[in-house]
Amino acid sequence: MNHLPFSAPNKSAAGESAFLTFNGVVKSYPGTRRRALDGVTLAIPKGVIFGLLGPNGAGKTTLLSMLVGRITPDAGTVSVDGAAITREILAKIGMSPQEPAVYPTLTARENLEYFGRMQGLTGAHLKNRVQVCLDLAEISDAADRRVEQFSGGYKRRLNLVIALIHEPELLILDETTVAIDPHSRSLIHQRLRELHAEGVTIVLSTHYMEEAEQLCHQIAIMNHGRVVTQGSVETLLASQHNNIIKLTLDQDPPDSLRAVLLSIPGMRGVAIAGCCIQASAPHPEHVVSSIMEALREAGVAAQSLSFGTGSLEQLFLSMTGEEREEP
Amino acid sequence: MKLRSLAMFSASVTKELRIISRDKLALVVFFVMPVLFVLILSLALRDAFGDRPGTSFAVLVADADGGAVGQAVVESLRGNPHLRLVLSGRTNLGERDIRQSVREGRYQFAVLIPADATQQARRRVADIAAGVPADMMLQPPVGLRLLSDPALRGDYRAVVEGGLNLAQYAVEMKLARDQLEQNLRVITGKDYVALPKLDKVHVFSEVRSEPVSGGKGGQLPTSVQQNAPAWTLLAMFFLTVPLSVSFIREREQGSLFRLQTMAVPGWVVLGGKAAMFFGINQIQMGLILAASVYVLPLLGGDRLDPGQNPLALMLLGGSASLAAIGFGIMVALFARTAEQATSFSAAAIMIMAALGGVLVPKAVMPLFMQEASVISPLAWGLDGFLEVFVRGGSVRDVLPEAASLIAFSAICHGVAMLRYERRI
Repeated sequence: MNHLPFSAPNKSAAGESAFLTFNGVVKSYPGTRRRALDGVTLAIPKGVIFGLLGPNGAGKTTLLSMLVGRITPDAGTVSVDGAAITREILAKIGMSPQEPAVYPTLTARENLEYFGRMQGLTGAHLKNRVQVCLDLAEISDAADRRVEQFSGGYKRRLNLVIALIHEPELLILDETTVAIDPHSRSLIHQRLRELHAEGVTIVLSTHYMEEAEQLCHQIAIMNHGRVVTQGSVETLLASQHNNIIKLTLDQDPPDSLRAVLLSIPGMRGVAIAGCCIQASAPHPEHVVSSIMEALREAGVAAQSLSFGTGSLEQLFLSMTGEEREEP
Repeated sequence: MKLRSLAMFSASVTKELRIISRDKLALVVFFVMPVLFVLILSLALRDAFGDRPGTSFAVLVADADGGAVGQAVVESLRGNPHLRLVLSGRTNLGERDIRQSVREGRYQFAVLIPADATQQARRRVADIAAGVPADMMLQPPVGLRLLSDPALRGDYRAVVEGGLNLAQYAVEMKLARDQLEQNLRVITGKDYVALPKLDKVHVFSEVRSEPVSGGKGGQLPTSVQQNAPAWTLLAMFFLTVPLSVSFIREREQGSLFRLQTMAVPGWVVLGGKAAMFFGINQIQMGLILAASVYVLPLLGGDRLDPGQNPLALMLLGGSASLAAIGFGIMVALFARTAEQATSFSAAAIMIMAALGGVLVPKAVMPLFMQEASVISPLAWGLDGFLEVFVRGGSVRDVLPEAASLIAFSAICHGVAMLRYERRI
């Protein structure tokens, strides 16, 4: 692939050698009390697959929209390759929005041709890129069918490859694999790995922990407009060693239990699903007796108790302190 | 860079054309419905506008006299192209029957000339010539009566009343002259004294109004002259509804967001849509004018005379289209949903149309409403078209209207561009 050249990685305001930087970024939307982004500082190195995790409303889409210049920060700075977002920078970025952003009454080929032309491609080069993208998405058989006749998986694959039509150096994916069949998801994962191997920097937001675990080199977990943790997946999981406490109860606990558990000093997060409790604390041994007492007061008993390294999902739950999705 | 933008613009127009050509229903709405609308309205309102000789009212002349009065009435009314005379003899119909036939709408007017009217008129003239004071005359004034359909407009009744009065004056003149001749014969003792006849030679020439126009065609607007441009303008403005909906749909589908994340200039995105709808507007106007010139006469309507200034028509059509498109794009960028855009546009356009003389011709509006119509862009367009069709106006004559429409368009497009480029 011929990528438009960005300059060599530079030192970001966040203090690291970074390609994309968010430095103290604050954003509020009119009519809302809570800040969508509340002092986000992030540094994303060049050439990685970076995952943004967080429940709905955490601020992931706002953050990604800033990278493509559609949303401007109230305070703080956003830069790509050390520069503010300009038209020239945008030409090097490909974005695949959350919902398939395509024209349903045009065919897949016509969609690719149109967006290709909008990226400045013409002639044989455009024709070649359209075919490459159709092949990448494995939708060549349906290239001349109207997109409105496509399955969800086909639409999302097309949605992804439209973002690749101009061979961007930075690819931004906003929950691109939501509601998609396993084959399409696997294909998209494969393509993203190939792109990474070719040197493309990929920033993706996702709800799927296993996706992040499998694909991403680095992640940031966001909650309520803040980055609650960030780093490489391995480091983050290792830092969770022995921080997770898992309990199985003899019955479903009352709803009030979560608040009681969260009020225990030293408790970082609590998630309750049915009769299973997962809590995180930097020093589990300091909170175990308080947990047991809270269970007794709630009229439930523990059938099993364990400590251990969590999965990314457990890390996510402990960091966000909630069930996976807000309503 | 400029060439690159132009290539993007052409891709944008091609995309719009592809999308619209696949929407068969939209094509019917864009092209067939406005033409049908103009044909139907021009036919339905054919006789309500202008100076159309074909408009005629049936007038029954029930002449129970059979003398000079009846002849004068017939001669006077026969000259009016809007009246179709039916003569009834002395004993053919009684008053009850005549009233009945007017009530039933068989005749819009019935003139009742009483029996012996000519003799009564002669006696009255003799009294006048003899200098008998008015209150002592033996012969009262002769009473011709005019029955009319109450549903008729007052001005139509006034025309027939005027015609009858004219006939009466003519009879008066003739009888007075006869009486004068007779008196002169008595005075001079001659058997034959001839006064000059005034029924063939007149003191004054007949007055005919001269419509004041810039060119050759000087007429009042006919139904089709009013309706063709009026509904073309309305169709143009109504096209802003699908325009804004298509824009909002693009926003909802996310494709607009995708374009905004690319380095695509706003004018390329908005201009692609505007160019396509501009083309549709021009085709619409062409079809409506062609139907008004070639199809309408076949259906019994008046043919639209397209005038001598096709350039003036093109200028008006183009600038009205730009105004409509600007309005539509502006609405699309401010409306949150397609429903909001549809209902707002429809209501706003109907108000502008009502105010602008499209729904109700400006000519029948009271003066203050005619003055208020100046705020409607549809009024500017319609005034311009009437200037060309009715008064034979040239490009120079319609420049103020075209300039107003283009200025309106520029403001709308400017506001829309600012809104489009706005970042949250």
